[in-house]
Order: sequence, then C-alpha cells, then structure tokens
Amino acid sequence: MLRKIFLPSILIILAYGFWVSPNFKEIAAGVAIFLFGMLSLEEGFRLFSGGTLEKFLQHSTDKLYKSIGFGVIATTIMQSSSLVSVLTISFLGAGLIGLAQGIGIVFGANIGTTTGAWLVAGFGLKVKISAYAMPMLVFGVILIFQKAKSLKGIGYVLTGLGFLFLGIHYMKDGFEAFKETIDLTAFAVEGYKGLFIFTGIGIFATVVMQSSHATLVLIITALAAGQISYENALALAIGANVGTTITAILGSMSSNIVGKRLAGAHLIFNMVTGLIAIIFMHQIMYSVDSISGIVGIASDDYALKLAVFHTIFNVIGVLVMLPFINKLVSFLESALKDNTLKSDNGLDSAKYLNDSVLELPATSIAALLKETKHLYDNAFKIIVQGLNLKRSNIISSMELNDVVKEIYREDAIDIDDFYNRKIKGIYGEIIDFSTKAQSQMSPGDIEILYKLKLANRDIVEAVKDTKHLQKNLVKYSTSTNQYIKEQYVAIQRGLAELLRNINIIATTDEEEIVMILLAKAKLHTKKYDILANGTLDNLIRESLISNEMATSLMNDSAYAYAISKNLIAMAEVIFTDSSIDSNSITEEMSITDEDIESILKKEK
Amino acid sequence: MGIKKFIKNVKSSLGLEDFKKEGKKKSIKALLKKLNKRKKDITKKLKSSLNKKEEKELQEELNILSLQIKKGKEILYKLYEKKK
Repeated sequence: MLRKIFLPSILIILAYGFWVSPNFKEIAAGVAIFLFGMLSLEEGFRLFSGGTLEKFLQHSTDKLYKSIGFGVIATTIMQSSSLVSVLTISFLGAGLIGLAQGIGIVFGANIGTTTGAWLVAGFGLKVKISAYAMPMLVFGVILIFQKAKSLKGIGYVLTGLGFLFLGIHYMKDGFEAFKETIDLTAFAVEGYKGLFIFTGIGIFATVVMQSSHATLVLIITALAAGQISYENALALAIGANVGTTITAILGSMSSNIVGKRLAGAHLIFNMVTGLIAIIFMHQIMYSVDSISGIVGIASDDYALKLAVFHTIFNVIGVLVMLPFINKLVSFLESALKDNTLKSDNGLDSAKYLNDSVLELPATSIAALLKETKHLYDNAFKIIVQGLNLKRSNIISSMELNDVVKEIYREDAIDIDDFYNRKIKGIYGEIIDFSTKAQSQMSPGDIEILYKLKLANRDIVEAVKDTKHLQKNLVKYSTSTNQYIKEQYVAIQRGLAELLRNINIIATTDEEEIVMILLAKAKLHTKKYDILANGTLDNLIRESLISNEMATSLMNDSAYAYAISKNLIAMAEVIFTDSSIDSNSITEEMSITDEDIESILKKEK
Repeated sequence: MGIKKFIKNVKSSLGLEDFKKEGKKKSIKALLKKLNKRKKDITKKLKSSLNKKEEKELQEELNILSLQIKKGKEILYKLYEKKK
C-alpha cells in the first residue's frame, strides 16, 4: 500500500517543485544526472569484474584487516558503497567469503565512501568540473559502442564520471541561483531538535535516491552555496549514512540467509555510528576544528570541514565496532536463523543458489560448484547405503575387506524415496539456476557451466544406477553360492574403494595425489570390469553360476561400471581446478582410455 | 597505430603477454617435481622386501606416475616450443 502511494507522491512533489522554481528543477536535474552517472559507473565496473575483481576479493579477504582494506579501496575506486555492498552480498551468497569478512568489507566501504566527500569538497567545488565532463562523455560514449568488453567497460566508467561531474555542476549552479531568490538557512533548526530533524531528512533523501553519495554531494553543494547551516549539514550527513543501508537491505531480499545477515550488520553498524555521532556531536565538531586547523583547512571552508567530519565519524564507528565483530556475527546468526535448508518432511533444497549470486558470472559458477558438491554429499550417502555399506567405514582407514563385511542393514533401502527427498529438488534447482546464469556469461564461462551441468547429471545417473544394482546386491552378497557371492562382494569393494578415493580427493590439497587417485580409479574400473576381463565368461563356461545369476551379474556389473565412470567424471570436474580454470593442468595431464590400455598391456 | 596493436605493444613491453603461459610452466614444473619425488620413493620401496600385493600396488602406481611425468614433460616441451 505504502509503495503504491510513495512513487506518485514523489513525482507530484517534484512536478510541483519544477513548476514553482526553475532553480529547484536545475538541482533535481543535477541529482538525476549524478545518479545516472553512478549507474553507468556501476555498469562499467561490472564489465570489468569478469575475473579480476573476484580473484582479488578471494585473496584479499582472508584476514579482517585485509577485508576492511578491500572495502576502503574498492569503494574509493568505484565511488559506490552500494555496489560494493551488493557485490559482497553476492560473494557471501555464493559461499566465497564468510560473514565476518563480509562485515569487514562493509566497514571498509563506509570509510571508503568518505573519499567521495573529499573529492567533491576539495576538487568538485573548486574547479569547473563540467569542463572535464564533456570530453569524458564524448570519449565514453564512443568506447561504449566498441565490441571489446574492456573498452566498453572503460566507456561506461568514463561516461559515468562525466555524468557525475555534470550532475555536480548542475547542483552547484542550481544552489547558487537559488540563493538569490530563497534563503533556505531560514529553515535551519538549532540544537538536538535540529539534529534529529535533519538526520531524518538525510535518511529520507538517501532512501529516495538510493545513494548516500548523491545525498552527500547535494549536502556539500548546498553547504558551499550557504543554503544550509553547517550543523544541519552534519546531521544530514549522519542521516545519509543510516539511509544508505536500505540499498543493502533491498539487495539482500533476493539473497540467502547470509546476505540478509550482512544487511543486518550494515544496518546495525550505521545506526550505532549515527548514534555515536549524534551523542558526541560537540566533541566530534571540536576534533574537526582541530584537525582542520592542523591540515590547513580554512575555518570557514565548511564543505571541506564536512568531509573531515564524515571521515572522523565513520572511522570512529569502525574502531568502536571492530572488537565486537564476532559478537555481531553470533548475534546475527541467532537472530536470523536459516530455516530453508530442511523442511519437516526431510526435503533437502539448494543451499547456495539464489538470485543475489547471479550478479557476477564468477559467483554464479562458485555457487553452482558448491551446490554440486552438496548434491554429491547427499548422493554419497545414498550410494553407500545402496551398496549396503556404512558411510563411517568408507571414510575411515579400515581395510576394504572389513568394510564390506559390516553391512548397513539386512534388507534394501528405499532409494526412490531418498532420491525424491535429497536429490531431485536440488538437481532441479541447479538446472533452473544454470539456465538463468547462462544468459549473462561469456563463452568461456558457459563452457565451465556446461561441465558442471554434466557433473550433476553424472551424480544423478550414479544414484539411479545404484538403485538398479541394489536389488541383486542385497540378494547375492549373502548367497550360498560362493562364486556369485564373491563377484557381488567384489563389486561392493570396488565401489567402496572408489568412494573412499573420491573422499580423499575432495579433502586433499595435494594436486599429485588427486591426479594419481583419479588415474587409479580409471584403471581399476577397466581392470575389474568382469565383462571385459573374462571373469563372467569363465563363470558361465564352467557352470559355476546359474543362467539367472549370470544375467543378473552381467547387468549389475554394467551398472557398477557406469556408476564408476560417472563418479570419476564428476570428481574430475568438481574436485580439480578444471571447474574454475578451463586451461587446467590436471585436465591436460589426466590419463586417457589409450593410456589405460597401455598400462594394462604393460602389467600383462 | 590501431588500438589492438597499441594494447599488444603495452603488454609485451610490460612482459604481460606470456604471463599466463609462464604461470602454467611454473605449475607444471612444481607438479613434475612432486611426481618425480614420489616416483623415486616408490622405486626405492620396490627394492625392499615386500609382499606380492604391496608390490603389485606399487608397480601399478609407478606405471601411472611414469605416464603422467611423460605427459607433463610433453606439455612443458610444447610450451617452450611455442616461445621459440
């Protein structure tokens, strides 16, 4: 209801403002151009973010001070804390960084955003920046029409900066002209009453414009033109800081629970910082005067003094909140609980796939990789139980001959039920997500995505084949016919060995171990295939098993062979670097069918 | 000078052109070092007294290692070839 009224009300107020004051029209146009510039700048950085930004983020957020530093630098370069927040939510959603690192980035972004105030107050107001805007716009637009992604990115960044400068110019001009007709300082309110009123106005303006940066530029230009008092400008700046959290909150709506927690952290941080600034307003103002005196800022240069104030209160906020990051994480984890993972009927759903990670191809791929591993985890449990073995024994160092002796249960498990509850839903979500993610990917990314889709299909096929295999496996692994029993136990042992090796591959960092285990798995699949190695022919020829047993064994060894093949192919994609690097060495050095034949020949 | 040529010149003057290839060479060399060390250890073990099962397992791993080392060397050779 509120939403329905909100937009028309804003439009009506603006239209009335344009009608009564041409100067107000100029200021509003300045804000609109500035916001458009920010959109263009964000688009440019998005085009650049195809790899570099993601890699940088992953390597520069492993420690808290690094993540704060990343937040400062990224926001300084991009001049948009909102974009940094949204990207952070995306990385969190994909599970690439933890909540504590995410909070560190947001803290850093708050400090980084203060550079905007310095740029506008120190540079934007002192030179005629519209002179720089025009060539930037011309060069930018020319580059936007280029095919190369990097040139297009530069084009968007230049156009964005051009519009930002132009927007500032219009705002500045508008306020200068405004000064001649109306004196807004007449509306100034003094004391704490004024502080709260103007903080509220700052929040409202930022919520409407969705950019604290734009609000701050508006405040600085108005302050420089003498249209608002210094004290009220400070209150507006506090409001802008609190209001900017709305962007992260909106961005987290489509995110999973970690994204929502980050938005919560952002809100808490900015509220606390705002409160500190209001309570200690006089002390901070005194510090501003002292620092300004030291760095040589004139006592009547209120625009620069506002920049100093903005920096001081954000730095104080970070320093105050820093010792409480872990407590904040615990609080958010207990206050915002994840209740989407498992429903009452045991249905499992995707953990990492949500619209927020679709922001970047790299986060989409990272989320898909994690989800595929999640799917494999579920499949692993089902396959192990389908083989009538115990999971704990498989992942232990117990002798394989002993592993197959300890059975899971006497009768078969309902794999269909497991499949419907633990596999089908997640697989469906993976396919749906892949289709959405594909639309904004480069051919290289699509190739990686395709490999991941195949890996998922391999997992599902392996579960289905286990279902077919299970029936006779339970029956014949306890048969009185020693020969058929031996064969089924061998199938169990072979698959148990494979599952154990995949578990090692999944948990080791040693590249050579991964390569050797994958090669061994391929070799054993071929070596112990009883159809190929002549074991089945011998059993039939010497009448050691019945015709019915022979048919079952033939079918089931084919299922076991298919399960092995599918699981190896899946492991090659999700547990080696081939899923993130299309030029992977592991992939190039992996052994082929021809290599296996040559090793088998050598062994003979 | 076209923009492509300009970017190419900048890349070569900054030594960025072979950046990816150099990284790959470095990774293969590191991997080959590990594989060779493992091969050496296995060869040593095979000389000591082992039961048949252990010997068979080690021999199998040795065959795999030899093949992978050969493949790694071939890739490395090709990377150096391209440079020439």
